[in-house]
Parts: sequence; structure tokens; C-alpha cells
Amino acid sequence: MTDQNTHPEDEEIILAELDDGELVEQMHEDLYDGLKEEIVEGTSILLARNWSADKVLNEALVEGMRIVGIDFRDGILFVPEVLLAANAMKGGMELLRPLLSETGVKPIGKMVIGTVKGDIHDIGKNLVGMMLEGAGFEVFDIGINNSVEDYFEAMEKHQPDILGMSALLTTTMPYMKVVIDEMVKQGIRDDYIVLVGGAPLNEEFGRAVGADAYCRDAAQAADVAPAMVRARQARG
Amino acid sequence: MTVKPQNRSDSGRGPRGQASARRGRRRGAAGKQRIAAADSAAWIERGIPHFEVLNCEALELIEHNAETVLAEIGIEFREFPHALTLWKEAGAEVDGERVRFPRGLCRSLVQATAPGEFRQHARNPRRSTIIGGDRTVLVPAYGPPFVHDLDKGRRYAALEDFRNFVKLACMSPGLHHSGGTVCEPVDVPVNKRHFDMVYSHIKYSDKPFMGSVTHPERAKDSVAMAKIVFGDEFVANNAVLINLINANSPLTFDATMLGAATVYAESNQATIISPFLLAGAMSPVTIAGTLTQILAEALAGMAYVQLVRPGAPVVFGSFAAAVSMQSGAPTFGTPEPSLILCGAAQLARRLGVPFRSGGGLCAAKIPDAQAAYEAANTLQTSALAGVNFMLHTAGWLEGGLAMGYEKFVMDADQANMLAVLLGGVDLSENAQALDALREVGPGAHFLGAAHTLANFESAFYRSSVADNNSFEQWRQDGSLDTARRANVIWKQMLRDYEAPPLDPAIDEALLEFMRRRKSEFEDRDY
Repeated sequence: MTDQNTHPEDEEIILAELDDGELVEQMHEDLYDGLKEEIVEGTSILLARNWSADKVLNEALVEGMRIVGIDFRDGILFVPEVLLAANAMKGGMELLRPLLSETGVKPIGKMVIGTVKGDIHDIGKNLVGMMLEGAGFEVFDIGINNSVEDYFEAMEKHQPDILGMSALLTTTMPYMKVVIDEMVKQGIRDDYIVLVGGAPLNEEFGRAVGADAYCRDAAQAADVAPAMVRARQARG
Repeated sequence: MTVKPQNRSDSGRGPRGQASARRGRRRGAAGKQRIAAADSAAWIERGIPHFEVLNCEALELIEHNAETVLAEIGIEFREFPHALTLWKEAGAEVDGERVRFPRGLCRSLVQATAPGEFRQHARNPRRSTIIGGDRTVLVPAYGPPFVHDLDKGRRYAALEDFRNFVKLACMSPGLHHSGGTVCEPVDVPVNKRHFDMVYSHIKYSDKPFMGSVTHPERAKDSVAMAKIVFGDEFVANNAVLINLINANSPLTFDATMLGAATVYAESNQATIISPFLLAGAMSPVTIAGTLTQILAEALAGMAYVQLVRPGAPVVFGSFAAAVSMQSGAPTFGTPEPSLILCGAAQLARRLGVPFRSGGGLCAAKIPDAQAAYEAANTLQTSALAGVNFMLHTAGWLEGGLAMGYEKFVMDADQANMLAVLLGGVDLSENAQALDALREVGPGAHFLGAAHTLANFESAFYRSSVADNNSFEQWRQDGSLDTARRANVIWKQMLRDYEAPPLDPAIDEALLEFMRRRKSEFEDRDY
């Protein structure tokens, strides 16, 4: 794969021959180009050179995705390219995640995400999931048409930092309040950050249903989610 | 160029006596609208050819590819076993919820029994319309959760807004239909909204309207309310409701939509089967690929309706826009979806069913230049392409997220113009105007000619929104831009609104039905 991959002028680059600094820089470029195999390889090489999982995560992957995020925001990178980059990031994360939990490093975050009951629209939700994976999150996507029970079961099982709910329909978006009201009733509302999104929502609606934030699009969700998790971790 | 003698009674401007026209000219802009509304036509009869972008070979290629999609990939009918049973009986291959169709099956089901055109009755028989053939029916926008106007900005829609837009549509001569969810009354519980929406269409307008599709029970309530107005037997034999059934593209129909489609088909009411595509996200990024998907989804949905009830009226729908590949946001009024729209209209004509698409689509948040030109791009393309049922003609802002009061007035003005444009060229003796040419001769002017005097009042479309005055006059009138002029007009229209008479016994029966049904279950937010 590497030989035929899309680095026309860089075909000769052999990742293992680069020094640490060059390799990290190359990984930023490979993330930008969405090259999953190269990212997995680069991650393995750094680990083999006794880099901590934490350091690989922050210096190679998160920093690379930060650049991707900026260029997406500025309209230089297009959606399909960002999805490729996020997918490459996910490849590296799969190697790092078990190591991170072994060493007790606080994960960037975990999220359960799903479309609410009565609604089977999921393109936007899927984009949010991929963007958050790109931001280093562990994302548990519970799909479409989720009842209160489905959300509760997933929160119980995965213990996420964030619950994300999505709706495309005006007739299904009020169900977010049904879920949040039940969380309040059961005394678990404050155990989670609740983010909501979807075309017919706005900030006012997010507040009205009792969410912590409304995210207007996937890029914003990928900004808001890590910031809120960090703030929460800082509060202890 | 096909030409057709102009029949004014069929054009959107309607037959008007000189006196009423003069009276109209002396009144304010909104007054004009009101008088014209009383005489407005129930559809536009086309007098010009269709604008076509695909030749025969191209159409055959897309039809072939759509059959390949249906046979090889198939369509999912989710969580609705009844559909799977019907498909199995019809000879399709059912694998879980995936249905694969032998080549030609869907097409032959549709062509065997779906009507080429049908009448949708209104409670005022003069407003009953015909959908299909050489006719175009213009319909307000559908679905926005927000409303927007210059005074109060953007906010969630309320039932009051819903009623206002039904009234505005009732008064707009260029709109032939009251529409459906003209905005979503977010202040009413989700499971009871449909009662108030259907009632508002019946009470505040006498134009034809659309039923609820958000749950099979709500579809049944819509039919029950229609029966109170039209009578059981009439509804059993005639289309009085037309209903929007969207595919959950790509290649999926969900239980909500299938449930509503089934109720309406069983009740012999009309459905519009609409693939809803934002190309790039929900269909391929190319025009030909998207057309292939539209045809495959529409065929499967319309054929399903024919399996439920052979002969039930169906419309080939298409909502196709593109997404910005940069941000993922939907875009409107761009050239590629215009080509898709024209191509889909051709595919529908070859199939022999009515076609729904188009509208005053835009991504603009406010009634600005972007709103106007994006909407005009799609409105004119839709008209030229041969759309029969033009949902979203008026009010659409922000990718359908907001219904704009000023935008509604601007679009309704465009709707009036489409009627004249589609009417074509009058070649009557009067229109040939040789008398005028003889009378004036070289070097003079036509302003005082007898022919001009006899024709000037109806000769040219007069916009109620555009300002054609001199700079000085415009400044004297307050230097108003389009949106602010439209703001004055919709407020005047609402002040002038008079409800079309409704038999008090029917009104009371509807209210009683709603009281009873609303008390039978609790308010719910889903």
C-alpha cells in the first residue's frame, strides 16, 4: 500500500528511517492526507522508540488533527478529506487506547451518541461521531430511533463523559427533553455532559430541554466536547 | 415553439372585469391581491414546451441504471412487515428488510394502474385543482420549524404563524393550494398538532390542502376530518388530500412514512413519493448518479402504493439539492440541482405520472438578494422543466428551516409571474396587433393607440413588490428595499383577510371531533 499511496513526490519516504521530529511532522502531514496505514505505522514506530502513549497521542495525533480542524474551519479542507483524516486518527487511537488505560492517563473523553426515538436520520450524527473520534474521543454510536431505555442502558454500559442526542425532525426533537427529564428524575443528570444537535434545533431549544450545549454542526461539536470534558476534569 | 391561444380564464391572473381591475389599481398593493384572489385560477395551464436537458439515449441509460439499482442493491422497507408481505406476493425478492425487484417490476406496477393526472378537490369547488398533465399547481413551503419576519426576527413557529400563512396563501392568487405544514406549530404538543393544522387549512382557506404524515394515526385523523367536510362516500371515491411521503434516502423507506402512505392509499387519497436528496451526502455527487437514485426510489415507493391500492393517485416527487463539500451545509439555487430537476421531470413524464419538485428554495437567512436570486433560479427552472405540483413555492428561507413572511410575499409575486410565463404566447387577432401597427405607423408612439387603450390593463404583469419608480420617487416613498416593501404588504393582507365561508354545522362537527380525539390520549412530545 505504502508504495502506491498518494504521495507522488514522497514515494521514497520510509517512516522508520525518520528521526522522531521528522516522523511526527510526517504524521501531521499523513493525518492531513488521511493516510490511515501510515498513521498506524507511525504510531507503532514511536511506541517502539519508547514514546509514552500519552506523548504519541498529544504530539503526533491530536496536534495533527488540530491543524486539520483549523483548515476545515477555514474552508481549505473539504468534508470528505476531514472524514479521511478522522479515520486515520481512529487507526492510531486503536493502538493507543489500551496502553492509555493501562497507564491510567485520563482519556480525552468518551461519548454515547444516538438519534432520538421516532427519528431514523443519522448522517449528521454520524459526522459528529467521526469528528469526535478524530478529536481522540472514544465514541459509542447507538444508532437511530433510541428510547429513554436505550440511552440509559448505553450510559450504564459505557460510562461516557458525554451523552449526545440528535434529531432532524421537529416532531422528534422534543424527545430530548423526555430523556433529560428522566435523567433528572433518576438523579444522574449531573453525571454527564449532555450535548444536543440537529437542523431544527437552536440554542434556545438546547437550554429549554436542559442540555449543557447545543452544537450547530460537527465541527463545533468537536470543539465543544473536548473543552467541556477538560473543564469537568479540572473541576474534578 | 408550440404556441397556444391565450385563455385568460386558465392563466394565473384570472378573468377580471375592467371595473374590478380599475378598482384594484386604485387600492393599495394588498387590496389588489385580495380582489385578484377572489377570481384566481385553480392551476396554471401550460402553453409553452418543456425545457429538457436529456435526450432519449440519456433517459434510457438512466432508466436502465435505476433498474440495476432496484434489482441489484434494492430498497429497504424498514420496520414495516406489511410492505415486505406485499412485495413478496408481487414477485420481489425479500431479504430481511431489503427488497430487490426484478427488472421492470416497479415500472409496470406504476404504469398499469397509477393515474396520469387526477383532480384534488377543495371544499370550494372552484378551487378544486388538477395535478398532472400540462398543469402546474403552486403550493406554499412545507415543514419549517422557524418563522422569520423583519420585526421579530427568527423564532420557533407557533400555531398563530401557521394560521397566518394559511391566510396569506388563501389570499395569494398565484398560489393554488393551501399546502400542508406551512410551518411547524411548535407550541402545540407533537401528538396533537395535526388536528390544529388540518383544521386551520379547512377553516381559514378554501383551497385544497395536505394531510398529516407524521404517524399513521395522524393520517387517519386527517382522513376523518376530510370526511366531515366532504362526506364519507365522496372521500372514498375522490382525492381530497395530498400527502408528502419522503424516502429516507439513500434507498430507504421508514415505518412512519410507509404507515402514512398505506393509510392514504387505502383511503384512495393522493401521495407524493419524494426521494429527499442532498447530493454528495444522500446521493452521489453527480447529476446522472443522483437521477438514477431518484428514479429508483420514486419507482419503488409509487409501486408500493399501487400494491396497497391499485389506482390510488401518486406523484413522482423529487427534492434534490447539493451539499457544500466544504462544510456539509445544504446549498440551493445552484446549477446542478436545476439540471437534476429538469431530468427528473423528463423521467416522470416518460413514466406517465405527475411530477412534484421545485419551489422558491434558498439558503439565505433573511429576505435578501441571495434569497431572491436563489429562489428565482429554482422557481423558473421548475416552471420551465414542467413541474406539476410545486411544493415550497412561497416562504422558504434557510434551507427550509424558516418560513419568512416577507419572503412569502416576494415568492407569491414570482408565482403570479410564472403563470404568465407558462401561459405562452397569445396569437389571437387582438394579440397580433396589426391594427395598432397600422394606426401608429412609423415614428410615433403606442401609448395612446386604441389597441393599447383596449389592452393596457392586462397587457403586462404588474409586480406588487418591485419598485420601478424614479430614484426621487423611491426616496420620497421612504427608500424602502424589497423586504421592507414586502413587510408592508403581508401586514396589510392579514388586516384585509376575510375568512371564506364555512358551513357552521361542519365547523362545529370538526371542533367536536377534535375535542373528542384530543381528550382520548395525553399530550406527548413524541
